[in-house]
Amino acid sequence: MINLSDFLVVSAGLFCTGLFIILTKRNAIQVLIGIELMLNAANLNLVAFSRYDKIDNGGQMFTLFSITLAAATTAVALAIILNVYKRYKTIDPDKIDSLKD
Amino acid sequence: MVTVKLALAVVLLPLLAAVINACLPGKTNKASGWVSTLTILCSCVLSVSVFFKTWNQHDIHQQWLWFTIGDSQFHAGVLLNNLSALMLALVSLIALPVHVYSTAYMKNDRGYKRYFTYLSFFCFSMLALVLADNVFLFYAFWELVGFSSYLLIGFWYTKPKAILANKKAFIMNRIGDIGLLVAIILLYSQYHTSDIGQLFSNGATGAALAAQMPGNAQWIVCIGLFLAVAAKSAQFPLHTWLPDAMEGPTSISALIHAATMVAAGVFLLGRFYPVFTPTELTILAVIGCFTAFMAATIALTQNDLKRILAYSTISQLGYMVMAMGIGAYASSFFHLVTHAFFKCLLFLVAGIVIHEVQHIKDEYQLDIDPQNILYMGGLRKKIPLTFIACVIAGLALIGLPFTSGYLSKDSILIQSFEWAEGKGLLHELIPVGALVTSWLTAFYVIRLIVKVFFGEFRLMEFDPGIKLHISDGNWQYRMPLMLLALCSLFPLFSYNPVLYEKAWLFNGFPLITGLDRVNIYHTIIPVLVNLVSILIMYWAWAVYMKKKALPFPETGLLFKFSYHQWYIDALYEQIIIKPVIALSKLARWTDRNIIDGFIHLLADMGIVGSKIAEWIDRYIIDGLLHLVAAIVLAIGNFARRFQNGRVQYYLFSMIAVILAIFIYKTLF
Repeated sequence: MINLSDFLVVSAGLFCTGLFIILTKRNAIQVLIGIELMLNAANLNLVAFSRYDKIDNGGQMFTLFSITLAAATTAVALAIILNVYKRYKTIDPDKIDSLKD
Repeated sequence: MVTVKLALAVVLLPLLAAVINACLPGKTNKASGWVSTLTILCSCVLSVSVFFKTWNQHDIHQQWLWFTIGDSQFHAGVLLNNLSALMLALVSLIALPVHVYSTAYMKNDRGYKRYFTYLSFFCFSMLALVLADNVFLFYAFWELVGFSSYLLIGFWYTKPKAILANKKAFIMNRIGDIGLLVAIILLYSQYHTSDIGQLFSNGATGAALAAQMPGNAQWIVCIGLFLAVAAKSAQFPLHTWLPDAMEGPTSISALIHAATMVAAGVFLLGRFYPVFTPTELTILAVIGCFTAFMAATIALTQNDLKRILAYSTISQLGYMVMAMGIGAYASSFFHLVTHAFFKCLLFLVAGIVIHEVQHIKDEYQLDIDPQNILYMGGLRKKIPLTFIACVIAGLALIGLPFTSGYLSKDSILIQSFEWAEGKGLLHELIPVGALVTSWLTAFYVIRLIVKVFFGEFRLMEFDPGIKLHISDGNWQYRMPLMLLALCSLFPLFSYNPVLYEKAWLFNGFPLITGLDRVNIYHTIIPVLVNLVSILIMYWAWAVYMKKKALPFPETGLLFKFSYHQWYIDALYEQIIIKPVIALSKLARWTDRNIIDGFIHLLADMGIVGSKIAEWIDRYIIDGLLHLVAAIVLAIGNFARRFQNGRVQYYLFSMIAVILAIFIYKTLF
């Protein structure tokens, strides 16, 4: 029997993996993948908790919207990354630091 | 009154000349000499006519209101009596030849115009002094003659010695001026009049003054007057300025320091004669006699031609003061008049001699003092007229018969013997002193004439190639010499060359004794004096001409005493000048170190205070601000490290903070 906590553990693992990727990767696309992982960890949580809402399936619904939005934001982010690359000839987030004082 | 107007013209003409000369362009404008000479010629003619109009007539006294203070009215005016008329004529008569002489003597001088401006100004002051009837006016002109004398002594103001001499003359005359001022003020406070004529017609005699004035005021009046006389007429102890005054041009020495200004002291005595009591007159006689003797002994050994004459002048002035002291009032003035002529003549002669020696010195580049008689000699053949004039003046100075000096000097000597008769042994010292002085005079006059005019020309020893093309000079030199030489002979004063009692001058003065040939003195003294004088002259001739041994060797104590002028200057140097200088140095030190030091201390304290304030400002107040700035900077520097633009780092920090918060919440 798969418990709720198992889902949560998987979700937490996913979240942490995503976070780790975000913090350590030297490539903006990989960072974006990390973000997607963290988002999907959150989606997994939503779906897991939706078993306590069997009538409305609010969690499921919310996740659908979230996935759609994530796709949209990813598209926007990829566009940004393309523009960044055009400008700086790199997509290493560490090297794009012209906002510092 | 015509006479008064004439007298005023006599006085004001030289002033006019001085003003015109001051306005003339150029420094050596030859017109100035002629302006001065012409005006003094007019003055001379007018003063002689004034003299003939007033001599032995009623006194003319005219005055005008000068100024008013409260209820006191002060009048200024002209007092023409025998005394002032005589002085007026004398001063202008002496001034005329000196002016003519000066036009030649000063012709190459760069200060020609200045010279004549001063000279005319002096003549104005002196003539006005003679005429003034008001004691304050008298005092003003008394100062002015001193001032013009000061200007003329320092005429060659680039010579340091001349500047020293004119300062000395001025300062010593100030001492006398203070005395005169004190006397005038005391007399005014007693009689409430500044009018000389009124003063004595009110009965301001010595005895009356002594009775009326409180305490010793009468003595103070007389001491003040004596100081004035001593300073102006170079009497002991204020005589030392006169020899130094010879630094001025010789023509000035002739006019001012031999004939006129130095006689002003004797004139003052004459004006204020009634003020003195018999005791004071005796003191005056003692001082006069001492001065005469002292100056004569000094004149024996001096080598500077003009200094010899200066000491001779002091000596003769001593005679005049002594004559005043013994009551020989008229004789004193008589001697003043005759002395003015022959001493002026001697100075003019000295001027020519010095002028010629200076010429030779400049021509051959010799390193000598042109006034030193040791370098002269044998000049009689080169400048015969000057030599004759010098002999006449010298004999008049000695007082040999047929000269004017004989008449006046013997009258003084005879009256001094009469005065001392029956008064005791001490009083006899005065006539004896005068007699010895007269013999000393004979010695130094012969010494001077021999050294200058006889023997070999000693400059040849320096350079045997010297050619003496010197002469008596043109008429501007010759005329004054001849005029004054004539005036130094007896006919001007008396038709009888041996009996002074016959001189017309004695008729003009009321206070006369000793004119009757009552006793043996009138015969024996002239004979004795002149016989011994001639012996002494021969002795001096033998000593200097035939090179016999000196009576006192040059290394002797007496010789040194005389040569150093009785060490009086050295004494003043020690007891007056040095303490005064020490005092002024002390004052300077006090000023510099104590008064200035206090100021400097204040300044230093201000500086130290401001340095402390600066330190506080810099290190504490500014330091505080800098500290704040540094803290802000440090915080900023610390904080900016977080703003490194790395997105991941921001995220990491965020998560670290959130984690920290959660750990905190979990633990506590």
